[in-house]
Amino acid sequence: MKMEPFRMEQYETNEQFVLKLGGELDLAVVPQLQVAVEPYLRRTDLAMVLDLEGLVYIDSTGIGIIVSILKTRDSVNGPFYVRNIPPTVRRLFDMTGLTGYLK
Amino acid sequence: MKAVHLQIPADADYIDLVRNCLLGVATKLGFSYEDIEDMKVAVSEACSNAVLHGTREDGGGNAVIDVAFEANGERLMIRVVNYGNPFAHADARKSASSIQGDQPSELRVGGLGIYLMEALMDEVQMNSDEQRTEVRLMKYRG
Repeated sequence: MKMEPFRMEQYETNEQFVLKLGGELDLAVVPQLQVAVEPYLRRTDLAMVLDLEGLVYIDSTGIGIIVSILKTRDSVNGPFYVRNIPPTVRRLFDMTGLTGYLK
Repeated sequence: MKAVHLQIPADADYIDLVRNCLLGVATKLGFSYEDIEDMKVAVSEACSNAVLHGTREDGGGNAVIDVAFEANGERLMIRVVNYGNPFAHADARKSASSIQGDQPSELRVGGLGIYLMEALMDEVQMNSDEQRTEVRLMKYRG
């Protein structure tokens, strides 16, 4: 439960753009995440994958950006997956109703 | 435990310090891991709102956020105060909800922060006047 700064790591395969998130995702770092996903948001040749394995904290601002990614990906018919959701994060996804919209 | 006060700039980069302080206070008071996780999110939501609304459009006001942790035998109360423009908290609370919409294109997330505060704490009070907006978050022991 110690303080962990937000971190991102990304890679591309032939079919996927994968963004791995770690640490604490809050209002302060949402702009960094927006910048990282922006070039891939409308690309339909690559599925977008958010891997949350290292995430130790998220709040409504982080959930809000996931919803906005979901909406944009849906509007361009681009696949979008959220993987490796840790239990504390999963609980907030359940509570806010996000879980029902994730594949 | 005596009251603990923390003042941060009304800037998102400092909200993690409030979470860390909460962690220290609530651990000292013997709250469970789950209660602490809930309070961490709730206090961050209150601080995010304070950052977003705590700066006056005319540049005046005091661009800081005051946080106080006050415990007694039954509960911990966390007060988050900003000095921005008055906040229409009654309307905001009325429209706060979980994520709604049948189709992804219809999803809306307004009010999610207040919704989470209410879901995660035992009691939430808000009041706002010309000078300040205060959110009080209460968590009862066991």
